[in-house]
Amino acid sequence: MNIQEYISSGIVESYVLGLADHEERAEFERMCAAHAEVRKARQLFELALEEQAMMNAITPPKNTKSKIFAEIEIAAENISATTNNQMLSVPSEEATRPATKVVSIGWQRYIAAASIGLLLISTALNLYFFDQYKSYSNRYETLMAQQTEMAKNNDVLRARLDTYESTLAMLRDPDMAVIKMPGTNVPTSPDSNGVATVYWNTRSKDVYLMVNNLPQPPSDQQYQLWAIVDGQPIDAGVFEVQNAAGLLRMKNIPRAQVFAVTLEKRGGSTTPQGPMYVMGKAS
Amino acid sequence: MGTAVTYTEHELVSLLKDRDSKAFGYLYDNYSGALNTIILQILNDVELANDVLQEVFINVWKKIESYDPTKGRLFTWMLNIARNASIDTLRSRAYQNSQKNRSFPDNVDALANRPSSEINIDNIGLKKVLEKLKEEHRILIELAYFKGYTHEEIAEIETIPLGTVKTRIRNALIQLRDHLK
Repeated sequence: MNIQEYISSGIVESYVLGLADHEERAEFERMCAAHAEVRKARQLFELALEEQAMMNAITPPKNTKSKIFAEIEIAAENISATTNNQMLSVPSEEATRPATKVVSIGWQRYIAAASIGLLLISTALNLYFFDQYKSYSNRYETLMAQQTEMAKNNDVLRARLDTYESTLAMLRDPDMAVIKMPGTNVPTSPDSNGVATVYWNTRSKDVYLMVNNLPQPPSDQQYQLWAIVDGQPIDAGVFEVQNAAGLLRMKNIPRAQVFAVTLEKRGGSTTPQGPMYVMGKAS
Repeated sequence: MGTAVTYTEHELVSLLKDRDSKAFGYLYDNYSGALNTIILQILNDVELANDVLQEVFINVWKKIESYDPTKGRLFTWMLNIARNASIDTLRSRAYQNSQKNRSFPDNVDALANRPSSEINIDNIGLKKVLEKLKEEHRILIELAYFKGYTHEEIAEIETIPLGTVKTRIRNALIQLRDHLK
């Protein structure tokens, strides 16, 4: 029998479908190993059979897959359990290194205990730190509010400091003449304790006033500074006593022999009408 | 399934031998339907067929080491496992039935448990191909492949000589192959 006749005898199909007897199977496997054509014929029939089977597939019930997987997982566990047991029961290992074995199991136990301990500590610390976090968060909010408030105050203080610094700079100026005006210079003054000081820049002719001590006037009246030039009073501006912490900028006066303060109606007068409180000579 | 992964047969076998459960899932998704059909056609009973299908896949998983690719494709190997398992079940059940219910027709249970789906399992796959064969050929494949009878048993049942059984089966298989192409 030649190869072609053998192939077309039905042995290929008989073998693939599992209908060949033991002798036929053995012979077919020998023929496959020896002849590529036989292998080829077998593969062709296998593929035709497979394709036909795939086209006629009937999907099994849905839960079948999970049942099978559950089974093989149990089988896998049994296999690995057997393997472990075998490894433990290898006698040479037990005999040669029993001490190491015991020690290593001890270590594992300590490590396991330590792990649980650390976990508990970690959990406790988490709770503690969360509490702390909440508390710090609240405190932070408070501090932020305070900080904003302080920044505002700081701006106010800085503005005030700027004023004092510029005041100080003016006072330090060598061209600045200081004219003290005590109430005692005015016999008719309603307040003999009253004191005010004029700072007069002889170069720029700018005039500044410091209220040292003057009584608070009624609300419809205001103090007015006068420069007396050749016997004539010249208006140098009105001023408030309250919040007169620094130097009050008055009108520019080019020339004067005397400075004086009178109490006038609110807004001031063109010529002095009210009583004179303080007075000082420019020298 | 949801995964677009496909394996070549070589990759699949190598992964299965490494006990890769993902590859096994792929194997199941791909082939369970085709194997289910042949099991149903042999057993004619949905519940029994489902039990056998599970048994087949568990055996494939356990015995994958013994699969030899030089002797045939993976599907061929699995198909033979499925057929053998089905025939074992059929025979043990037929034996039990014959012992228990001698007064009842053999196939009463089988008829009661037939697949409830519209698919007529006798009208698809290999069984459909069989219908194209001559009656004398069809009967022999039916007995040999779907009932698992040996040639000697068939000779006895059909009251034809053993040599004739062998020749007819071979001829039937050649025709079957031609119809499959």
